[in-house]
Amino acid sequence: MKLYTYSIIDSSKQITEPIYGLEGACVYNIPYCDIGAVVSEFTESVQSKTEDGVLAHEEVIERLMESFAVLPVRFHTVFDGRDGILSMMRSYYKDFRNNLDRLRNKVEFGIKVIWPSDKIKEHLINTYKKDNEKVSIPDDSSNKRFIKKKFEEYRIDEEFEKKANKFIKVMDMFFSKFAAEKKLKKLKTENLLLDGVYLVERGKQDDFKEAFEHIKGPHTGAGFKFLFSGPWPPYNFVILPKKSDLLEDSEQKDLFDKVIQHQDLVGADKI
Amino acid sequence: MHNVVTKSKDVTLLEVLDRVLEKGVIISGDMVISVADVDLIYLGLKVLLSSVETMEKLRGSPFISPMQEAR
Repeated sequence: MKLYTYSIIDSSKQITEPIYGLEGACVYNIPYCDIGAVVSEFTESVQSKTEDGVLAHEEVIERLMESFAVLPVRFHTVFDGRDGILSMMRSYYKDFRNNLDRLRNKVEFGIKVIWPSDKIKEHLINTYKKDNEKVSIPDDSSNKRFIKKKFEEYRIDEEFEKKANKFIKVMDMFFSKFAAEKKLKKLKTENLLLDGVYLVERGKQDDFKEAFEHIKGPHTGAGFKFLFSGPWPPYNFVILPKKSDLLEDSEQKDLFDKVIQHQDLVGADKI
Repeated sequence: MHNVVTKSKDVTLLEVLDRVLEKGVIISGDMVISVADVDLIYLGLKVLLSSVETMEKLRGSPFISPMQEAR
């Protein structure tokens, strides 16, 4: 019997309210020590790998989040029976326990900020040209023109990044006041100024939202776009060791060898 | 049922996918059974939905946030 896994929770007790997951199956808890893995029975039908399947997965975790500390499991994680689940729980127990303690009563918020990079670059170019128009090059050879052009590009890119850092620093200053942890990605593309996730204590959610509104207000008219999402289960803040760190006995090593061999066969080693 | 997820939090499938497919507890157990399928769905959805930035480029118009689109 295959078991589809939704989440690890900080309880070994059964779930009292009915929750339905993929394929409409009822979810239940498989206890291991003082924690549990929430699963449902699964036939691995094609229909599960759809938008509806993804949303059903997420919805189960959100329902669990109302009552437990959760470690959301990646979509379509399937085990071959109860023994497979228990073996996994045994291997990761300590890490799961640490993560559950760290993430208890905390939720994740996502913040994306798009800025008008074209306008900002244009402004920087104009400013640079204005500042340097009086500087002339006596020997205006093609080599020197090339070097000059490259230098200009370098300086503008440098200023662009400085400006990005400045904006992010100001925004992050507001958000960080109410966040326990954060992960920020700067300029994933020229337009995506900030792609950030913040871990926030449940009690500080309103303050965090207020900080977002405070930042958003004055910038919206200036061509900035903001995307705020959450509260989410703490997907981005689960920290697990690499699988090689878990190879403590030969049984597990054999298992991973089989996985790797299977990956080689299907050419799927770049997951 | 799914409206609970999308409406109450005012987010789109893209935000859900960013998390559900790539983040959280990622363990090797799933690969033993369904490595090929997981990989296929993973790639399929990623290619289909792309990213916010790519959507903007493809559309060739000023950015409209997914949040606005969802309304």
